[in-house]
Amino acid sequence: MPSGKSPDTGLRRQGTTVFTAVGALIGVVVIVQLWLVSASLDALLSGDMKVLVPAAIASLLLFFLNGGLLLHALAFDRRTRS
Amino acid sequence: MTMPHDPDTKAKAARWREDFPTEWEQDAYVARREFAKFLVLGSALLAGANGIIAAVGRRFRKRAPRLPRLRIAGASVLPPGGSLLFRYPTEEDPCILIRTVGGELKAYSQMCTHLSCAVVYRAPAGEFHCPCHDGRFSAGEGRPIAGPPTRRLPKILIEQEGSDIYAIGKEP
Ligand code: FES
Repeated sequence: MPSGKSPDTGLRRQGTTVFTAVGALIGVVVIVQLWLVSASLDALLSGDMKVLVPAAIASLLLFFLNGGLLLHALAFDRRTRS
Repeated sequence: MTMPHDPDTKAKAARWREDFPTEWEQDAYVARREFAKFLVLGSALLAGANGIIAAVGRRFRKRAPRLPRLRIAGASVLPPGGSLLFRYPTEEDPCILIRTVGGELKAYSQMCTHLSCAVVYRAPAGEFHCPCHDGRFSAGEGRPIAGPPTRRLPKILIEQEGSDIYAIGKEP
């Protein structure tokens, strides 16, 4: 492949599917996190403090899950480049 | 100085071009990859927001002030199904004391948790009604049961001493 030409088209087509699927999963998790933020804010305003820390921990775990999914997909991205 | 025909520069240019493709398929790939990264950034911000809310909550709990003990005048003669308005802990905080049909005494903040209208007690239905947007709360626990409110009415802690009723604190 001459320098500057696009990478393997077949691999990238696969990559589009991978990133679409990962993006959809991450999107669903982000919506759950949004719900957690709004529920936590509601709990804070109504003085229900005991749910705040578990909600923050859950949100952090969901972020790690999202990060893991992204790293997994980016590993594929590296393969399309090499 | 780096020359344009330097192999290193060429490799860098190739990588740069990979991220700004001209073909549709390649472009869809890059767009989705960047969107996934963007979503994870959003996820990090939301996790941070939840952490901040939890931190604010902890500070808030530690600073909860001690409230005064206040006698509620006329409470002892409240008939079953009746209600009485009082202010607690300050003159700015309207509250409502009720005696349920079963004879139990309960007190809550009178401010609706939706937009702060004053709630009224409806003894036959066993609920508080907010006339502003038709919100309803259960008389037993103050929980929202209909309409726009999502949070319960703050409960006023009461204590009976002889025939006198005292407000001694407020549950958020
Ligand atoms: S203010 Fe009470 S329902 Fe809206």
